[in-house]
Amino acid sequence: MLVLLIGDFNMPHRSANISPKFRKLLVPNKMQHVLCTGNLCSRETFDYLRTLSSDVHVVKGEFDDETLKYPDTKVVTVGQFRIGVCHGHQIIPWGDSRMLELLARQLDVDILVTGNSYECNAVEKSGRFFVDPGSATGSFSVNKTGPVTPSFALLDVQADNVVTYLYRLIDDAVKVDRIIYKKSKST
Amino acid sequence: MYDNPGNATDQEKFLDQSIRVVKAESFEMKRCLDKGKTMDALKHALQMLNEMRTSELSPKFYYRLYMDTMHELQCLEVNLIQEFSQEPSKLSNLYECVQYASAIIPRLYLLVTIGGVFIKCGLGSRKEILKDLVEMCRGVQHPLRGLFLRNYLMQCTRSVLPDFPETEEMLLSHNSTLPKGTPQLKPRDGTVEDTIDFVLINFGEMNKLWVRMQHQGPSKEKEKREKDRLELRILVGTNLVRLAQLEALTEEMYVRDVLPSILEQIVSCRDTISQEYLMECVIQVFADDFHLATLNEFLNACGQLQQEVNIKILLIALVDRLALYTNSSIEGQPAPTKMQLFEIFSEQATNLIKNRPDMPMDDIVALHVSLVSLAVKCYPDRLDYANMTFLGLRQVIEEKGITDIEAFGKVGRELTKLLNIPIDEYKNVLRLSELPEYIKVMNYFDYRGQCNIAAYMVQNMLEQETILRHQEDVDAAFSLISALLKDQEKQPESSHETEEFADEQNLVARLLHLIRADDVDSQFLLLNSARKVLGEGGRHRLRYTLPPIIFELYRLVLQFADMKDEDEKWDAKIRKMFVCAMGTIGALVSTAELAELPMKLYLNGAITADRVPFEDNHTVVYEFVSKALSILEDDVVDSRDRVRCLQLTVGTLLKTTHLPEENWQPLANQAVLAAAKMFKKPDQVRSLVTVASLYWHGETLETNGEKMRNGKKVVDILRKSAKIARECLEPLVQQQLFIQLLSAYIYYYEDKCTEINVDHIEELISRTQDNAVQLDVSAEADNLEKQLGEAIHRLQLAKIDVAASQVASPRTEPDLPQPPSENEGL
Repeated sequence: MLVLLIGDFNMPHRSANISPKFRKLLVPNKMQHVLCTGNLCSRETFDYLRTLSSDVHVVKGEFDDETLKYPDTKVVTVGQFRIGVCHGHQIIPWGDSRMLELLARQLDVDILVTGNSYECNAVEKSGRFFVDPGSATGSFSVNKTGPVTPSFALLDVQADNVVTYLYRLIDDAVKVDRIIYKKSKST
Repeated sequence: MYDNPGNATDQEKFLDQSIRVVKAESFEMKRCLDKGKTMDALKHALQMLNEMRTSELSPKFYYRLYMDTMHELQCLEVNLIQEFSQEPSKLSNLYECVQYASAIIPRLYLLVTIGGVFIKCGLGSRKEILKDLVEMCRGVQHPLRGLFLRNYLMQCTRSVLPDFPETEEMLLSHNSTLPKGTPQLKPRDGTVEDTIDFVLINFGEMNKLWVRMQHQGPSKEKEKREKDRLELRILVGTNLVRLAQLEALTEEMYVRDVLPSILEQIVSCRDTISQEYLMECVIQVFADDFHLATLNEFLNACGQLQQEVNIKILLIALVDRLALYTNSSIEGQPAPTKMQLFEIFSEQATNLIKNRPDMPMDDIVALHVSLVSLAVKCYPDRLDYANMTFLGLRQVIEEKGITDIEAFGKVGRELTKLLNIPIDEYKNVLRLSELPEYIKVMNYFDYRGQCNIAAYMVQNMLEQETILRHQEDVDAAFSLISALLKDQEKQPESSHETEEFADEQNLVARLLHLIRADDVDSQFLLLNSARKVLGEGGRHRLRYTLPPIIFELYRLVLQFADMKDEDEKWDAKIRKMFVCAMGTIGALVSTAELAELPMKLYLNGAITADRVPFEDNHTVVYEFVSKALSILEDDVVDSRDRVRCLQLTVGTLLKTTHLPEENWQPLANQAVLAAAKMFKKPDQVRSLVTVASLYWHGETLETNGEKMRNGKKVVDILRKSAKIARECLEPLVQQQLFIQLLSAYIYYYEDKCTEINVDHIEELISRTQDNAVQLDVSAEADNLEKQLGEAIHRLQLAKIDVAASQVASPRTEPDLPQPPSENEGL
């Protein structure tokens, strides 16, 4: 089961386009679920996600239109895993790892997907797995020093483990990293 | 034309009868052939062919009869060839005999068959026989029967028409590849010129027969006749195909004899169906270079066709075909060939339009689609060609007094196609500005049409990453898409409420990120000038178009931040950029009448300013945050919105590190005040928990890179928050708030906040436990129960941890500056 994690597009506010290299990779009907960390900023981006999969979940980014009523958090169950999604600007201080853990406990999820850091990373902590797919467009953020690398993540959910692929666009070439997370017995 | 049009069943019946006769007679014919009684066989063949004289069948059914009969005649032919190839002299007798058959149709079919056998057996002069046959067929003037007879003539002679210059060598190699038993070819007379004459005569005669069909029978059956004729057209067209297939046909022959003769026939028949079909045939069947060599002649003929002929289709077919050909093969050829092509087309098209005042506008535009396509695809460097075509079209539109062409009307659709061609082909929208006539044509569209084209341009620029590097680029792009940038005269009142409007403005917004000058100064000028143009877009557009400008300014500031040593006026320039950003956000507040969006942009500005070490940057940070807070105060009404905005403000303040204590305090106080002033109690509780973090994680100039860690203030705020939580009357909500508070307490306790009293936490826990019992059973209650258990567990862990660290090192916390006035406003 493939789950696409993607977000912080900020189109049109901060970027013109998703890189053609990424668009070539993201083909319809390959991924069963799309979990979006928010900041789509236009209906067009949402429509684009809908072309990729019929099951699209979106949470609210701080620059998403309020009238769209995206929720702040969302929990989706895929196979044996509970996956929580939240944009992350609601977590104060931004990016605080203990607050993130608290949210994961509150949502009672195995995997917590957040955005807002504009950096693609995945890390396991106290038996839970934390992923930030970064910004799909590599859109600029005042919160981040240095340039933002366009990125997204893909979860391959299997029986008792999840293989995470981190896609980064570096010097106009796609680099992929692979991380495995195994569900611990206790959670 | 046929006596019994009847219905399909009647037709089936008549056909059946005829076919039965054909079967019976052909059976006898074959028996006689087997016995060697050739004369008797021919008699039966004549009987069989008698059926072809029928007047009962419609073209469709006559065709089926013809196919069956042909099949039998082929058997006869093969037999005769086998029999006579050894002794050809005996054939003459047969030829004579058949001459005496009484009915003309059976007689001619047999004569054609035997003529074919003659040639295949190498008897007599091929040239003479062919001439003879094609002349004899004139004897049948009934259109349907004549057409099929002549078609038979073409079929029978297909393999024996003189074509390639037949040298002895070629003959030898041809014969050596034949299967055993087949008669070998002998050297024969006749040249390809004879073939051309033969086919042209046949073609002319067939066309006459075909045209005559139109004029026979009652006028009320006109439509039916046209339908019948269309079913038969391929018989006439086959002649042209045959000509095109001739290997020995040279360009010179085509130019000198073939095309003039064909065109003469087509023009002089003055029949719309025939002209339309045959002209298209000519375009399709003959080679591209033949067309190139005869463009003028062909186009001239087009001008002489009947008014009803759809000339557009013909021209488009020709232009498209040649455009493709020219583009793929002419690269190496001298320019004049190419140049001429466009000029000829252009001139002829203009003449055609002039001479046909009734030509519908969509056809005229469609013609120009082909011309522009030719100009743009085959002459990418000749912008004047494309421009000339747009000019030509504009003049026609002007003369006809057309305005406001509907986007999705007939003409509009063609016009869209037309205007999209250079966008697609140039792959660089900026080049369009070199076609001054382009915009003028575009302006004949109605509002929607103009917007559609402009949006298409923007999409292309985004797709191609057309960078706007200089002021001229920005100006050019903006003038091309001006329909999207400003209110238009023709714009309908409510257009800004449509989805298209939003989509288009989003496109424009994305486009702005393609403004990328080579250096910081020029980039600032470009952004500033773009902002001025966009500023005139009115309140409905600003909300889309200004945020990208603001973000680009922030990006520019951060890019410029490291270049302090390279620029004397660095400080002033940075400040100017912020002034520009602030003013732009101001427009969103005053003109676009927005609240949240500008507030978020102010907050982003604060973080940006905090990161750039220019002189007194804290004043700018303060200005940004205070402006955000006053929007929160005055303009954000909905309580959920207020909670979220406050959250963002706290997040932002925690990102800043350069505010002096004296500036930081009022902002933090204001945030606490706003939290306590939330309309709903649960919102107050949650917001207070959020703002408490300011005093723990906050940094100012004076904290020297350390966190503030003001535990006393944190505890004050949490206590205040807990008090309000206790006042909440909804059990489930209260429970949620309690657990959130517990989590906060434990968070700070884990973080070694000494002011936190464990007893106080435990009291809250027991209160929460009491509450839990009273909750109705629900999934949420279960979840809260689970979280409570988790919190208790964590507290125990933290207690152990704190105890351990106290043993290890007695605390030596530095004294922190105390907030000026505690509990202010709480």
